[in-house]
Amino acid sequence: MLGNGSVGLAGGTDLVPLLRDGIVRADTLVDLSRGVPRGVADGRIGAGATLAELEVDPQVPDALREACRLAASPQLRAMGTIGGNLRQATRCWYWRLKYPCYLHGGDRCHAREGEHREHAIFGNERCASAHPSDVAAALIALRSRARTTRRELAVEELYRLPTDDDRDVVALAADELIVELEVPTPRASVYLKAMDRQRWAFPLVGVAAARFEDGVSLALAGVAPIPWPLAGAADLEAATPLPGTAYKVEIARALVARALAAVGA
Amino acid sequence: MLELRVNGGAFELDAPVGTSLADALRDRLGLTGTKIACNEGHCGACTVQLDGVPILSCITLVHSVGEREVTTIEGLRDHPLVEAFVRADALQCGFCTPGQIVSAAALVETDPEPDRDVIRHAMAGNLCRCGTYPRVEEAITTWRA
Amino acid sequence: MARLIKTEKEVEGRYTEQWVVVEEDVLDQWPAGARRVVGRPATRVDGLQRARGEARYTADVQLPGMLHTAVLRSPHGRARVKRLDVGRAMQAPGVRGVLTPRELAARDAADWPGEPSVGPHASEVLTCEPGYAGAPVAAVGAETFGQALAALSLVRVDWEILEPLLDGDQAVRRGSLLGEPRRYERGDLDRGLAEADLVVEAKYRTQVVLHNALETHQSVCRWEGDTLEVYTSTQWIWGVRREVAEALGIPADRVRVVCEYMGGGFGAKNDAGDHTFIAAELARRTGRPVRCALTRRDENRATGNRNATIQRLVAGARSDGTLTALGGEFVNAVGYDGFSPFTSGPMQLLYGCPNVRTVDYGAQLNTPPNAAFRAPGFVEGTFGLECLLDELAARLDVDPLELRRRNHADHDASDERPFSSKRLMECYRRAETHWARRAEVRARSEAPWRRGVGLASQVWYGGGGPPSYAWVRVGPDGRAAVITAMQDIGTGSRTAMAQIAAEELGLPLDRVDVALGDSARGPYASISAGSSTIPSMGPAVRSAAADAARQIVEIAAQRYDREERVLSLRDGHVVSTDGGSWPLEEIAGLLGDGQILGKGARGPNPAGMRVLTFGVQVAEVAVDVETGEVRVERLAAIHDVGRVINPLGARSQVEGGIIQALGHTLSEQRLLDPLTGDVLTQTLDAYKLPTIADVPEIVVEFVDQPDTHLTNLGAKGLGEPPIVPTAAAIANAIRNATGADVRSLPVSREEMLRALRETRGRAEEPVGASTA
Repeated sequence: MLGNGSVGLAGGTDLVPLLRDGIVRADTLVDLSRGVPRGVADGRIGAGATLAELEVDPQVPDALREACRLAASPQLRAMGTIGGNLRQATRCWYWRLKYPCYLHGGDRCHAREGEHREHAIFGNERCASAHPSDVAAALIALRSRARTTRRELAVEELYRLPTDDDRDVVALAADELIVELEVPTPRASVYLKAMDRQRWAFPLVGVAAARFEDGVSLALAGVAPIPWPLAGAADLEAATPLPGTAYKVEIARALVARALAAVGA
Repeated sequence: MLELRVNGGAFELDAPVGTSLADALRDRLGLTGTKIACNEGHCGACTVQLDGVPILSCITLVHSVGEREVTTIEGLRDHPLVEAFVRADALQCGFCTPGQIVSAAALVETDPEPDRDVIRHAMAGNLCRCGTYPRVEEAITTWRA
Repeated sequence: MARLIKTEKEVEGRYTEQWVVVEEDVLDQWPAGARRVVGRPATRVDGLQRARGEARYTADVQLPGMLHTAVLRSPHGRARVKRLDVGRAMQAPGVRGVLTPRELAARDAADWPGEPSVGPHASEVLTCEPGYAGAPVAAVGAETFGQALAALSLVRVDWEILEPLLDGDQAVRRGSLLGEPRRYERGDLDRGLAEADLVVEAKYRTQVVLHNALETHQSVCRWEGDTLEVYTSTQWIWGVRREVAEALGIPADRVRVVCEYMGGGFGAKNDAGDHTFIAAELARRTGRPVRCALTRRDENRATGNRNATIQRLVAGARSDGTLTALGGEFVNAVGYDGFSPFTSGPMQLLYGCPNVRTVDYGAQLNTPPNAAFRAPGFVEGTFGLECLLDELAARLDVDPLELRRRNHADHDASDERPFSSKRLMECYRRAETHWARRAEVRARSEAPWRRGVGLASQVWYGGGGPPSYAWVRVGPDGRAAVITAMQDIGTGSRTAMAQIAAEELGLPLDRVDVALGDSARGPYASISAGSSTIPSMGPAVRSAAADAARQIVEIAAQRYDREERVLSLRDGHVVSTDGGSWPLEEIAGLLGDGQILGKGARGPNPAGMRVLTFGVQVAEVAVDVETGEVRVERLAAIHDVGRVINPLGARSQVEGGIIQALGHTLSEQRLLDPLTGDVLTQTLDAYKLPTIADVPEIVVEFVDQPDTHLTNLGAKGLGEPPIVPTAAAIANAIRNATGADVRSLPVSREEMLRALRETRGRAEEPVGASTA
């Protein structure tokens, strides 16, 4: 039912503005509110669950609950679903204002040469946009898997860096929908977020950490064109910041150390 | 033709697909208490409730509302929060105020005595450029006085 | 008999001379302190209408047959339109009119002989040579806004793109200036520096800040016969009336300007604006009412801003903290057009330093024109000056509050004028309890959070001036109406005017109505800018109410056979010293349908005196020294604005000013694309206003003593003073907490981390290294 000009509409918090701006085009909108599951049970979260529901659900691991709680604004959390959150687009101002940038299919990243204080410190060679999803970082640290209408895969496999051949950062087919998320229960987990104001801001740096029997998983938000898994604190030294994003490395160092301490690593 | 349930009544209206709930309320139903200040989901001035949940009507497509009951500031005309906002001087220019009250009404419905942190968390999506926030906090703290 | 005199009038630091007619029997001020109505907290008289969404803003004006407008704006900071093709746009569904720049319309007229209402037609405000991104180039009027937008996307423009000039320093070097540099000197700066035991120098930067009133700039224009009705979101009904009448070449009385409720201005809505002229012109062409409303994005590109500044400052002092020299070079990055604010003002006015030299440059750039933004110039200049003074105090090891007391100015040293009143020392005295929390606050530091306290002083204008008029009407029901064509931009001036009239007429507040917001329904009223509404309009309202009260007493004296001198108005009654008491409606009711009409005017400003407002703010902050997060935890504000009319509304004004300042101190900055010069932070996710979660505890105090030289009220304005010192107080608290000198606004994460790095670097330097 999706693809070929049909686009699925869930909370619509990102999609409706993008449609209006002509960044996303659709001949038909398919209302997903009835078709997609939204409950939470036995470590499974329906993709239609709203962030507002998840931020207060005691079954949800701490890192994910906190990521939901600190995401966007109350009204956006009440509207936005976790499935939609994973598919949200970057907040890069060049991309949003329709500069003919690399991510839009152009030949250069305007942010690299221009204003980029909110932009990437990893994976930013072609496109310096930052992925804004707090939730994705939390799910990746929590080693979550996504079930789509076609397959099951790790949440981090939902994403790919844009390439010359394909500028999309989401590795799903046009007619493929996220249906459900499987979220393991860690021993401990945490999400820490640095932002420009106390609430209602996208992450400058978000750090999710989860401790399992066999070790700790880390993932970052706001630091690369896609959510960025981190093998360990030492990985931060491989960052490739732009002149205006070097401060993000400093913040990430502090927050990663705090997150590791918080989960008892 | 589309049927919309608003403030306890039912309205039929004709609107092209893509029309926002905010535009439908203001332009078709004349309910101009719902304000549009950014028209892209960032400021909260257009907040209305859908089945009691505060949402942004400027980025909600009217065709996706379905059976859900829409509550606008006009439907909260006699809510004690209205008096509380005036009493606490929780408004200056007043352009964000209907949205603030709609959000606050949803909050006190679930938590009649919210503490400071709860208020700040629940009201962070309603921007006020005049800076009435301390008064808003007081109004919500004292709404039943 | 009326006397004609010349007085001095000031708006936001710009002085003009003004002829004014003064009536005899000037009213004595009321004694200090709370009266029956004035000086007591009053909730807003229009609070319910606003809270219930019933107040009709310009955004809510829907007229039958109204067209909507979309405006094509330049995406380039500097460019030329080589070709503009509106042909397809004109034929798009719903389009009823297209406007193009005058030079193009003349050229293309032969090509478009068709429908007279569609165009292309000329507008003076559209341009073929945009000097900033966001400049209006063409406009389309259509049945719906969606249709107008769709048609706009069919307009073809061939641009010749030119390189924009975006940097203020570069503009000064190239001589790209708006007006001559303003130079000022008293004493001898070089001598002052030579006499100093310590000299500190620093460079400060402040960013471009966007007003972002929640109601965007908008107007609805409708021709009714030969009269143009303009519904507009404005801070100055009479300014719009004059501008529109002059532009259209019609008598001012043929322009009616209406603004009953408006959704915020903060200085950006002092002028009619391009949108008003576009709507008026399209309305004339189409014979239809036309709305021209800016989108949020256009609001942030094209409606003005607080300009960026670069400040190179120097201060010299003796070891006891006595200032011997203050010098500053201030570059105002004004934009393509606008005005060069008085950024050196605080340096000239705040302290009694004998040797001061300043120069202000207004840099012309290919960026959007600035507009007044709540204390323009002084917000920026105070940040630099008050940070520098604290750097000086730290190096001298002098207490910062003591340093400010030691250099208190007891008159305006620039022209030796006395102040009409100044109670800054009392503000300092009251600040002591907040200042005394320093040790306790610092002791609460625990890694990684460091805590500290800082303060900064405030000086600004706020005296208002003539002309301004009001009428008061008392009806047979014993109710009064204040009638004046002023505007309430959200500050609560409607309520304050009701209080002033109620006080003078001896009426309870709920028996006074205020009719404002319509140039056809009241006399001339001043601009609501420059903290001038209360000091300009308040005295006129009191004088009109006193005129009505005098007439009531005269009538009562005859009716009840008493001498006028034993009668007064109180609690809705005429009362006599002999115990007689008659309800006002009894006297007024005698007249049947008759009314008692009072009129009043704002008198002159005190001759030869400087009227200023003063204050001090004390900030408490916590800084996460690892992540650069700054949290403001408490702010105490003590201000001297003369008599306070409504303590409730006044507190809200102070809180609001501080919260706006919190935005420009920590999170707000307009960013431009360095290639095109277009604004990148057009939306409210990217441009970060404070939320409720960012607000500290705010403590507000007023000295609340009338200025005995200023008008019949002794009240100064309050809109701007509270936004002036906040950034410096916070920056000084950050220094107190961390030792780091933040010198650039906003204090974003990167600026905070930079300053901390610099401090660490300084600490690691070998002893004896220069710190200059």
